Amino acid sequence: MTDSEAKAWFSRGIEECMDSLYGLALRLTRNNANAEDLVAESVAKAWSALATLEDKERFRPWLFRILHNCYISEYRKKSVRPVEYGYDDIVVDGQEDDITGFLIKQPDDFLNWWGNPEREFANSLLGEDIVSAIQMLPEAFRIAVLLVNVEGLSYDEAAEVLGVPPGTIRSRMKRGRTLLQKALWQHANEAGLITDDLERGSKS
Amino acid sequence: MKDSKDKPQIDEIGCLEAINGLYAYLDGEMNDPESIAKFECYSRTELETALGELIRKSAKGKAPEKLQNRLRKLIDGI
Repeated sequence: MTDSEAKAWFSRGIEECMDSLYGLALRLTRNNANAEDLVAESVAKAWSALATLEDKERFRPWLFRILHNCYISEYRKKSVRPVEYGYDDIVVDGQEDDITGFLIKQPDDFLNWWGNPEREFANSLLGEDIVSAIQMLPEAFRIAVLLVNVEGLSYDEAAEVLGVPPGTIRSRMKRGRTLLQKALWQHANEAGLITDDLERGSKS
Repeated sequence: MKDSKDKPQIDEIGCLEAINGLYAYLDGEMNDPESIAKFECYSRTELETALGELIRKSAKGKAPEKLQNRLRKLIDGI
């Protein structure tokens, strides 16, 4: 590939990934200006490091990895840090009882309620609520949810982005989903969107 | 969408197995066609799929035009 071909190929790849890069940067930095700077800096770094891209089919995870590394090394300290849910990132087999209990019971209540077609008006509120809930996830879970759920990466690709084993991505997805559902369920309760009647109705 | 009366309920599958399998299914990490078929007719799958879709739509980014122009200029200049 000549230099101009490489540049044209790189340019097309960046065009296709712009929205994803910005979305990830915004959810990581929680600040528009920092997100834009982070994306621009990552794209510049990616061009300089293009020779290290071994598999052109894996351009997106490679690019996301550069953005994530750039965030860790230069932007994390500057980021706005709201109160995050108090869950650590250490997942030990056999020590997931609290999470498992919630996964088994509460999300079913939440999902049954949420999936009720009569709750259309409440569904329209949930877009913003979901973004707030994502923003409050501890970083390790937030980035896993963003990469897998939002950007559609496989566990292997997400593992490559974060430099962790695929099993760690599986654990983080499980906890991230649970925390999100718990936050949305609590929000719905606090906002009065769930009444006793509705709860009973959702279970019938 | 299949008839809800025919769907296996969570207790019949085994809760923890169901949750682990469900998440593997949702994230495209399940390869066994028989298991995939089982989860395709599991009521919670439909709801988690819908929630996953809402998460995707809500959290998807859109690069501002200012950033798009900045990136194009940056690439032009390299």
